[in-house]
Amino acid sequence: MADQKKTDPDVKFCEILSPSELFAARSRSHKIPVRGQKDFFPSDSDEQRQRLEQSLNEHWSLISEERVERLGNLVKATWIPSEEIVELQSPAGKFWQTMGFSARGKQYLLPEEALYLMECGNLQVFYKDLPLPIQDGYERFLTSNTIGLQQYQVFGHLKRLGYVVHRFDPSSEPSPYSRQLNLPQSRDRAGRQLKRKRSTSPSPSSSYIKAKESTTDRMEEESHEGEDRKHPEPHLTASPEASEVQTATTSSADEDGGRTWWMTDDLGESSQSLTSGSSCWDFSSIHFPDLGSSECHSSCLACPDPSLLPGALGVGVCDLAPWRQRINLRKVKMSPKEHKRDEDNWNINKDKEVRQCRNWAEYQQLMARRQGRRKGRPAHLWNREVTPLHDPTQPVPTGELLDKISVIKSSNLLEGASRLEGSDDWRICFNVYQPDTVADFKKSNPGKPYSRMCVCSFEGPVPDLRVIKLLAFQSGDIPVVFAVVDHGDISFYTFKDFQLPTDVYP
Amino acid sequence: MATEGVEKLSEDAPAAGKVSTRFDLEKETELRFEVEAGEAAEQVEMELLTGMAEVFGSELNRNKKYTFGPGSKIAVFTWQGCSVNLYGKPEVAYVSKDTPMLLYLNTHAALEQMRKQAERDNERGPRVMVVGPTDVGKSTVCRLLLSYAVRVGRRPTLVELDVGQSGVSVPGTVSALCIERPADVEEGFSVQAPLVYHFGSTTPGTNIKLYNKLTSCLAEVFSQRCEVNRKASVGGCIINTCGWVKGSGYQALVHCASAFQVDVVLVLDHERLYNELKRDLPHFVRVVLLPKSGGVVERSKECRREARDEKIREYFYGFRGLSFYPFSFEVRFSEVRIYKIGAPSIPDSCLPLGMSQDDTQLKLVPVTPGRDLTYHVLSVSSAEDGDEGARKGIVESPVCGFIVVTFVDTQAQVMKVLSPAPRPLPRHTLLIMDIRFMDMK
Repeated sequence: MADQKKTDPDVKFCEILSPSELFAARSRSHKIPVRGQKDFFPSDSDEQRQRLEQSLNEHWSLISEERVERLGNLVKATWIPSEEIVELQSPAGKFWQTMGFSARGKQYLLPEEALYLMECGNLQVFYKDLPLPIQDGYERFLTSNTIGLQQYQVFGHLKRLGYVVHRFDPSSEPSPYSRQLNLPQSRDRAGRQLKRKRSTSPSPSSSYIKAKESTTDRMEEESHEGEDRKHPEPHLTASPEASEVQTATTSSADEDGGRTWWMTDDLGESSQSLTSGSSCWDFSSIHFPDLGSSECHSSCLACPDPSLLPGALGVGVCDLAPWRQRINLRKVKMSPKEHKRDEDNWNINKDKEVRQCRNWAEYQQLMARRQGRRKGRPAHLWNREVTPLHDPTQPVPTGELLDKISVIKSSNLLEGASRLEGSDDWRICFNVYQPDTVADFKKSNPGKPYSRMCVCSFEGPVPDLRVIKLLAFQSGDIPVVFAVVDHGDISFYTFKDFQLPTDVYP
Repeated sequence: MATEGVEKLSEDAPAAGKVSTRFDLEKETELRFEVEAGEAAEQVEMELLTGMAEVFGSELNRNKKYTFGPGSKIAVFTWQGCSVNLYGKPEVAYVSKDTPMLLYLNTHAALEQMRKQAERDNERGPRVMVVGPTDVGKSTVCRLLLSYAVRVGRRPTLVELDVGQSGVSVPGTVSALCIERPADVEEGFSVQAPLVYHFGSTTPGTNIKLYNKLTSCLAEVFSQRCEVNRKASVGGCIINTCGWVKGSGYQALVHCASAFQVDVVLVLDHERLYNELKRDLPHFVRVVLLPKSGGVVERSKECRREARDEKIREYFYGFRGLSFYPFSFEVRFSEVRIYKIGAPSIPDSCLPLGMSQDDTQLKLVPVTPGRDLTYHVLSVSSAEDGDEGARKGIVESPVCGFIVVTFVDTQAQVMKVLSPAPRPLPRHTLLIMDIRFMDMK
C-alpha cells in the first residue's frame, strides 16, 4: 500500500537494490505482530496508552515495509477496466493451476485473483503502461460489479489457508429438476468461451495444443457426456425457475392423479350405493313359508311358479298346518336374568322413527345418529369447529399420538425451499475446494466443492430461515458456510439439519 | 311311518360282494341313510336306477355309483318318485314322507322371485341369513338353497360364519365362497378361491369382538364385489351362522344382519329366536320360521371334533386323503413372525382412561415360538410383510393358506411344518389358532 517507490517513474517502475539492502530485506523478521487481547474500557492509564501505541506502531511499520521481489518472479499483466479483468502478458506461474481462465487465446485473471497475487508478490499489474500499486489495486479491482472488500477479505483468507476458491456461478448448478431426475450433468456448451481451460503457458502459438485440447474435449464429450462432476446442460434447465415450475406441476399432477383415481372410485361407490341398499321388498307379494306369522291364516301355500324352480319342477300346494303344530315344542330354559332382560327389551319396531326407515341404509344412519347423541362425548367439546385433537375412545399407539399432538412440526432445511423466490441481498459467492485436492485439481473439471461461501458483515442482519432455506436449496447437497466479516476478522458459521430425537418406539 | 311302500328286493345280484338293497320312493319322499362312523366302517355306495332324485339340492346321475364314507348322513329326495339301490351295509336306512322339502322349495321360490325383481329393477339380490340352534340343518338348508339358486342360473355367494364347522375352509375361520355350480353329491361345493379370514378358535365366544369385526370385513368385501359384479349382486348371499343363539351369540347375529344388511332371516326350528329377531331387527327384514327336517341327527362333541379334524386333513390331503400331496419343510423362527389375535384381559383399573377392555381383543400379541407350538394350525396372513406399519392390517387381511407345525426344535430355532405348497412361505406373518391337528393317518 505504501509502495511509493515502485510508482516512481524515474526509476523505470522499479528500484534496483544494492546487495547490502537486499541482505537486510532478506534477513529481516517476517513475523506478523500478535494482536493480543482486546481492552474494552479506556482506563486512561499510561500503561494502556503505551501498549496501544506500540501495537499501532508495529502495524504501521508492517504496512510501510517495502516489499522486495525478484523481477523474474513477477508475472506481468494488464488491467482492462472495460471488462474488469486482468490479462496476462507473460507466462503464468504455478498459480495457473488453480486460478485464472483463458478465452480468445489469452489468459485472464479475475480481479480478486489478481489482487491476491499482487499481495503475494507474484504479479505486477500495469495500467496505462504504469505498474499498479496494491493500494490502487484495492481501489480499482474491488467494485460493486466485481467483488466487494468483504468478499475479497474472505477470498484472501481462504486462499492463504490453502483452499482453492472459485466464484460461484448459480447457472452452473444443476437445477433441482435435473437433480431430481438424476440427469447426468453434461458440459456447459453455451458458456464455453468463458470456461476455464488449462494450459501450461499462454504462448500465442499454442494452436497445436489448443487443437489437441479441443479434440480431447470433444472426445470426452462423445465418450461420456457427463460424469457427475460436470456442469449442467443449459438448454435442459433453461432457468431454475422454469424447472421449478415444472417439478411443481409434475408433483401436483401426481397428486391430482392419485386423487382423481380415488375420486372416480368414490363416485363409483356413491353411485352404486344409491342403488344398493335402497332396495325395499314388498313382502306381501313374496310368499315365504313362514310358520311363525300369525297373520297369515291361509294354511296352504299356493304352488310356486314353476319358472322359479330348478329343473322346472311342478309341485303342488303346501299345507303348513301340520308343520305349525310340530314346530319347536320344547320349552327354552331361561335364567331369571335373561327373563328380566327379555322384559327390558322392547320391540324396536314400535319406534316411530324406525318404522319410517325403509331400508338398512336409513336404519343404520338413524342408529348412528342416536349413538352419537347418546354416547359419551361431551357435546360442548365436539360439536364446534374446533374439536379436541384426539378422541380418547380411539386407541392409537403412543408414537402416533405424539405425532398428532406435536403442534410444531419438525421440518428440514430443504422443505418447501423450491417454492421460495430468490433474494438479491444474499447470494453464494465462492465455491471452496479443499487444499489437499490442489495437486490434481483441474479448473475444467473442478468436481464437487467442499463447501460454498456466503459472505456477510458482522454489522448486517443474521440470515433468516427463508434465506437459509433458499441458499441450501440452491447449493443442493453441498453445505453453505456463512463467512461473517468483522473488520478483517472472519468467522465461519453453518446451519445444519438435525432431527429432534423421539424416544417412543411403538 | 318310515318304510311305507318300500319293496325290499334284497340279495339282488350283490355287486362286488356287497349287500344290495333296493328302495322305491314315491313322489316327495326321501330316503335317509347313515353310514357307520369309525375307522373300520364300510363305505356305502348308492345308485339311482330309475326316475329323478337329488341329494341336498344336487341332482343325481342315473346309473352312477356314489360312494359315501364313514359317518355320512345322507337324504335322497325325489320330487317325482324314483328307485335307488344301496350297496353295502348302512347303519340306518329308511324312507320318510315327512320332509320339509316343500317348504324349503317354496322358500327358494320366494328368493328367486326377489332375484328376478332385483334383476329387473337393477337392485341387489336377497341377502339371506340362516340362523338356528345347533343340529337343525342350517348348513344343509344353505347348501340346498345355493344349489337350487345355481341350478336356475344364479351366482349366489355362500358366507360361512360357522367357525366350528366351516363348510368352506378349515375350522376356526370365517369365509365367503362364490358358488358357480351345484354342490358335488359326495364332496360338497368345490372350493375355488374362497375368501378366508382367520378367527383362530372354534367358538365365537372366545373373541366375540374379533368375530364381529371379521363379519364386518366379509360384509364389506362382499359389498365391494357386488358393486363390480352385477351377477354376484343379483345372486345375493346366503349366510350360514353358528348355533349359538343366546347372549353374545345372539348379539353377533344381530350385528351380522346389520353388517350384511340382510333382507331375509330364515330361523330354523326356534320360535323364541324367531320372536326375538322379529323384535330386534327392523321391520323391513323378513324373518321366516322354518321347521327342521326330521332327518337331522344330533352330533356329539366327538363327532364334531372328528369332522373338524377331517376338514383339516381334507385341506392338506384332498377329499378322502387322495388327491393332494402336502410338503413338509423347516422354517426358521427368525424368518417368520407369529401372532395371536387378542391380548389377555387386563383389569379396567390398569387401562388408560377412556379405553375399554374390548380394545385388547383385536390386539396382535407376538408369540414366542416354543415347544407348545407343536401341532397348532397356523394361518399364513396375506398382509404384506412389512414393518410396524403393516401390523395394523393383519387382523383384517384375508388368509392365503394354512400350515401345521409338526415339530419344533428349540435348539436349532427351527420348526417343521406341513404345508400345501413347497417352500418358501408366500408371506411371513403367521397367526396362531387354538386348533391343533395331528397328522396321524
